[in-house]
Amino acid sequence: MLQCIFLLSDSGEVMLEKQLTGHRVDRSICAWFWDQADSFKSLPVIASPTHYLFQIVRDGITFLACTQVEMPPLMAIEFLCRVADVLSDYLGGLNEDLVKDNFIIVYELLDEMIDNGFPLTTEPNILREMIAPPNLVSKMLSVVTGNASNVSDTLPSGAGSCVPWRPTDPKYSSNEVYVDLVEEMDAIVNRDGELVKCEIYGEVQMSSQLTGFPDLTLSFANPSVLEDMRFHPCVRFRPWESHQVLSFVPPDGQFKLMSYRVKKLKNTPLYVKPQITSDSGTCRVSVLVGIRSDPGKTIESITLSFQLPHCVSSADLSSNHGTVTILSNKTCTWTIGRIPSDKTPCLSGTLALETGLERLHVYPTFKVGFKIMGIALSGLRIEKLDLKTIPPRLYKGFRAQTRAGEFDVRL
Amino acid sequence: MFNQFGSTAETLSKASAAVLRIGTDAHLYDDPEDVNIAPLLDSKFESEKCEALKRLLALIAQGFDVSNFFPQVVKNVASQSSEVKKLVYLYLLHYAEKRPNEALLSINYFQKDLGDPNPLVRAWALRTMAGIRLHVIAPLALSAVGKCARDPAVYVRKCAANALPKLHDLRLEEHAPAIEELVGILLNDHSPGVVGAAAAAFTSICPNNFSLIGKNYKKLCQILPDVEEWGQILLIGTLLRYVVARHGLVRESLMLSLHGLESNGFYEKDGLVGDKKDGDKSDSFDANLVSLVSKCYIEGPDEYLSLSNGVDTVAASFDSKETTSVGDNEDVKILLQCTSPLLWSNNSAVVLAAAGVQWIMAPLEDVKKIVKPLLFLLRSSTASKYVVLCNILVFAKAVPSLFAPHFEDFFICSSDAYQVKAHKLEMLSLIATTSSISSILREFEDYIKDPDRRFAADTVAAIGLCAKRLPEIPTACLNGLLALVRQESFAGDLELVDGEAGVLVQAVMSIQTIIERDPLSHEKVIVQLFRCLDSVKVAAARATIIWMVGVYCSLGHIIPRMLTTITKYLAWSFKSEASETKLQILNTAAKVLISAEVEDFQMLKKIVLYVLELGECDLNYDVRDRTRFLKKMLSYKLACHEPTEDSVASQENIAEHVVEYVFGRKLKPFSPLNLHNRFYLPGSLSQIVLHAAPGYEPLPKPCSFVVEEHDQLSDSGRQREAMSGLNGSQESSETVDEDGSSEYDSESYNGSDFSSDGDERNDANDAADPLIQFSDIAVSTDQEELRSKRALDLWLDEESSTSNQTPSALDRNQSSYAKISIGDIGSRVKPKSYTLLDPGNGNGVKIDYTFLSEVSTVSPLHVCVEVLFQNSSTEPIVEVSLEDEEAMNVSDSAEQTLVGKANASYNNVPTLIPMEELSCLEPGQSAKRLIQVRFHHHLLPMRLSLHYNGKKVPVKLRPDLGYLVKPFSITIEEFLSTESRLPGMFEYTRRCTFTDHIKDTRMENGKDKFLTICESITLKVLSNSNLHLVSVDLPVASTLEDATGLRLRFSSKILSSEIPLLITITVQGKCTEDLNLTVKINCEETVFGLNLLNRIANFMVETSSSAI
Repeated sequence: MLQCIFLLSDSGEVMLEKQLTGHRVDRSICAWFWDQADSFKSLPVIASPTHYLFQIVRDGITFLACTQVEMPPLMAIEFLCRVADVLSDYLGGLNEDLVKDNFIIVYELLDEMIDNGFPLTTEPNILREMIAPPNLVSKMLSVVTGNASNVSDTLPSGAGSCVPWRPTDPKYSSNEVYVDLVEEMDAIVNRDGELVKCEIYGEVQMSSQLTGFPDLTLSFANPSVLEDMRFHPCVRFRPWESHQVLSFVPPDGQFKLMSYRVKKLKNTPLYVKPQITSDSGTCRVSVLVGIRSDPGKTIESITLSFQLPHCVSSADLSSNHGTVTILSNKTCTWTIGRIPSDKTPCLSGTLALETGLERLHVYPTFKVGFKIMGIALSGLRIEKLDLKTIPPRLYKGFRAQTRAGEFDVRL
Repeated sequence: MFNQFGSTAETLSKASAAVLRIGTDAHLYDDPEDVNIAPLLDSKFESEKCEALKRLLALIAQGFDVSNFFPQVVKNVASQSSEVKKLVYLYLLHYAEKRPNEALLSINYFQKDLGDPNPLVRAWALRTMAGIRLHVIAPLALSAVGKCARDPAVYVRKCAANALPKLHDLRLEEHAPAIEELVGILLNDHSPGVVGAAAAAFTSICPNNFSLIGKNYKKLCQILPDVEEWGQILLIGTLLRYVVARHGLVRESLMLSLHGLESNGFYEKDGLVGDKKDGDKSDSFDANLVSLVSKCYIEGPDEYLSLSNGVDTVAASFDSKETTSVGDNEDVKILLQCTSPLLWSNNSAVVLAAAGVQWIMAPLEDVKKIVKPLLFLLRSSTASKYVVLCNILVFAKAVPSLFAPHFEDFFICSSDAYQVKAHKLEMLSLIATTSSISSILREFEDYIKDPDRRFAADTVAAIGLCAKRLPEIPTACLNGLLALVRQESFAGDLELVDGEAGVLVQAVMSIQTIIERDPLSHEKVIVQLFRCLDSVKVAAARATIIWMVGVYCSLGHIIPRMLTTITKYLAWSFKSEASETKLQILNTAAKVLISAEVEDFQMLKKIVLYVLELGECDLNYDVRDRTRFLKKMLSYKLACHEPTEDSVASQENIAEHVVEYVFGRKLKPFSPLNLHNRFYLPGSLSQIVLHAAPGYEPLPKPCSFVVEEHDQLSDSGRQREAMSGLNGSQESSETVDEDGSSEYDSESYNGSDFSSDGDERNDANDAADPLIQFSDIAVSTDQEELRSKRALDLWLDEESSTSNQTPSALDRNQSSYAKISIGDIGSRVKPKSYTLLDPGNGNGVKIDYTFLSEVSTVSPLHVCVEVLFQNSSTEPIVEVSLEDEEAMNVSDSAEQTLVGKANASYNNVPTLIPMEELSCLEPGQSAKRLIQVRFHHHLLPMRLSLHYNGKKVPVKLRPDLGYLVKPFSITIEEFLSTESRLPGMFEYTRRCTFTDHIKDTRMENGKDKFLTICESITLKVLSNSNLHLVSVDLPVASTLEDATGLRLRFSSKILSSEIPLLITITVQGKCTEDLNLTVKINCEETVFGLNLLNRIANFMVETSSSAI
């Protein structure tokens, strides 16, 4: 099992260490880790001379866990991801300052989440009841009174019940349940402009505030489009196996009910047509972006970003719509927003190659970003959401949105 | 209040930044030591303590050693504030091992907290107590865990399960059985949360104790979907190991597919293999590799590879006895059924674990259902993506056809990390089929232009692998690669870009691998490659091409004609080459010369001589050595004028053979099987790091775990009951019983799972013929409910409700028992005697002593001891007396204080009230004397000095714990109410066996067996300790033979402190066999209680001859 967890800042400083078992891990292991070559250091599982290290990097913070014995590596990695999720949820983001400023909460959370190297309470809803997240009121209170405990005195009723994700008897004056379909489109367009792969990764996100012990049933109009799925622990497997219905007792508050994948989509909503010609040390670039198939809703926050090749010494790019920024690490971002009705957005300009190079022989990949509210591009439709016992004043709501996931256009 | 924030936008933004930090612990982290921490810790305000602790934690976080604050921090463990408590615990856990002595100070608070009504407080106390890792308190911690394992709160039981590995980690051998027993209890818990944690404990404590799993295998399978995700991961592995150990591998599974194919052609017949893939059968999976994988899973690759050195032994088939079949094995079927929905789990680790089970155990045709869930995992975080890919690679190596239709999922995204990209490439080259290769190659073309040149180089290597696997496509590949070589060599002119060289080298190597398969048909490619030689500047690539010149120098028609030119060119460029290339030029020159045709021979000889001369003067000693070596070897060739000219001397002949052997040999086909064939269990750490991590264990040997006969019987019996359901009152009560024991009820709280059996039976059978006269019967319908309530009350220690609830509950509880009284037992009690001095040491004086139950007349602290002097020598002994060794030294002062304070406290009473002196002891004579002793400590012996014949001999009088208490006469009601006030940490149980009664029952045939048992137990107890027998409860048992449920209660007070101490002995087992006793002690003085408990358990086990 895990022996120790370190939180490292982006400069390699150990911000926090939490020893989990009696076998202490000296923090010098972090220095060893940080000194490794980049390609080795970025491995998620590293066999160091003394320990096995698992790491994930989230928002510049490295979560490093150590063990000396055999254990499922995915368990360690998933756990670290869970820790990162919970922390960023508690602290409203993740960065060096936030972790340092709230180190007590981080310690308390870690202590609750893992016991003797084995995960203990990882359900965010339960954790929230045990350790209050910092908020403005509690901060003010602590300033005024100088004394505000964020550790709860009582054991959350959900911890240890047979539905550990739910407090036993929450009460609400108005009962609300919202279902969001949040989809991400993964697509690859190859250098010939051909759509190689286009699929949707989607999540059914719910927000429920329901009194008592509700038993919900969610059914889809066309479950057959789903290729793979993964469920929140609350979903019962049987009803899904027999007639593809999600039957569950929801956690209280926000949660991800299921995630799914829909493969082999025919079209992307946008087209990106990059062109590049290089001759005698300069390259001419022009990129056109437009709507290929109108999804029926506005496509918003369109962005295009790409990494200029190393051999480009300077770039002069401009667009007829939106803004272009080039960062010092040669990342170029073109923020388009919405497609105007009167013209086709076009990025054009020249790249100067390093002296001695005639032509470009490596080409960048464009990453496309967009967002469409109110539509699920996979075509998945929710049929209905039923409650076994309908509480008074019940509000149900459905929403959908699609955004770009891994949308790569190769040049 | 906030008006200072309002003025301008600038101050507002500053202020908001400040606000964000206000109330956080930022200042504590930045300057933890800007105030003096020590006084804060001693503050009487919780908030100041809290701040101090936070500062300490900040220092810990930053890597400073602040263990010097330990004593002050420990004091605060008593704090009522949950936050202070939590922070103290965090600190304690960090340093306890360093400061064991101070850590001990906190134990009492943990003990107190363990009895707290708040489950969170109990859980924290348990976690910390088990976590501070002190050998001294291990017994206390163990009994605390035992207690918490029966706690009503799930959370506390879960923490108890987590605490077990902590105790196991201390490596205390004597506790191992107790720990394993607790693991068993927790695995049998009805709450999924606890089972998950117990599975984790099982994995780290006793992964091969399959009997624990065997007992509740089916239940574990059923509960698996409800277990928390982390527990699922380990439980899946445990169940898999159990099934393999119990039943062996599955005949229809992939692991044994080779065996199946060979033995009966089962798969071809059913066409199962044919369905699965789009290629031909031989392509579906690599049978050798699969069997290697399964061997590795069972034996561990290191052992396996060391044993067998190749493929030959791989095919060794499994003993058919060690296999099983899904069709007729219920356990395997259940395992597969309960793990397959977990492929939908949200947690990648669970999915991978479940996939591992299906991979190893599922019938061949079902294995494909793991594919989609595994592929879906590729859409998770980068780190998990990498681990999943490593595992998928193993699956794909064995059965490429599984993943072949899903090649698109392995196309590379720009955001993938380099390692992920590399693995995806390997995957693509593994699973490419004739139908998918064109799409894959088109992708590869794109990748070659990727700005990451290392990745591009890998892509080129992957192209080579693809072409090698699929003989149909090389032409397309080769052209592409050649184009690349030309382009690269052009671009590489300037070597501006890092990694460009790598791409070129890979391209040449890939071409080489493709050509290798069939050099003759690729002659033109080779020629083109030779032509590029001039433009290729990268040493490694040049070396490879030059090496190819040597290897293929006699191939086809064109190459031999080019040879002279090429060799000339090589000789010309020799000077400017890197040493790597020079070595290859030398080799090639030698090879060319050997295979040279007649017409070129003279020319070539001159060139080779020139090269050798250059080589001899090279700066690099490797090159010089190689040159001299070749020169010597080739000397016979260089000497002659015609290549075919026969050598004269036999010695030269030998040289020719050597040369032929060294240079003329054909290339050996290179088998990739020996590389990367270290297979570890799917999902394991070892599979990722490719060596066996400490603690890695392969699957257990098939069928290595044999269930004992009676276990199986009871198992099947239980099943029968469950099925027959309500067939009769007897059986239905049994079924209820089963449920009852998994529910949390008062009986298991009492520390004796077994007593509940007896109880239930009573309920069911109280209409049966009474065998013993009992006082009253009442049919209790709501007994169960009341009792469980009572259990909770006991735990929560709520005085008010206890007093309300207890009497009625107790009445009920007692109702189905018969009370018996054992008369005249006192006369039969025969106290045990110990030896103080044996005749050997004492010149013939033998002194025995016996503790008496009489209460001392001097003070309540004294124990009466009867000392028996015997003279076994032949001479009389005079002036025998016993005295306190220490008192003699300080007798004067002791007397003074005695006079001065006059009975102010018992402490001033002398520790030994001496006996009257024995003036003379004749040979063979014996005499008894009474002494009264006050022991300083209940475990430490007292030093006495024996005087006789004018000599002084030191002796040690050891205390008997059983006599450091005195009988405490109370009624059963008082007993029970006292007991209810001593729950939680004040209660200890131990089990032991008892055999004395067997002899007794045999001897007294006419007597009732129960009575005999009661008597012999009582006798045994009273002969060894000074207790009061409160009551004997006899269960209204169904059979004559079953003594289960018999309960004896004893009470006493500790001599030194007058604290009451209650003992309950519960019997389980058949009258005529060994009985299992559960001894329970309730006492506030925990240390004394534990020691006495051990003492009782010890003497109950001893067989005594004097029992009658």
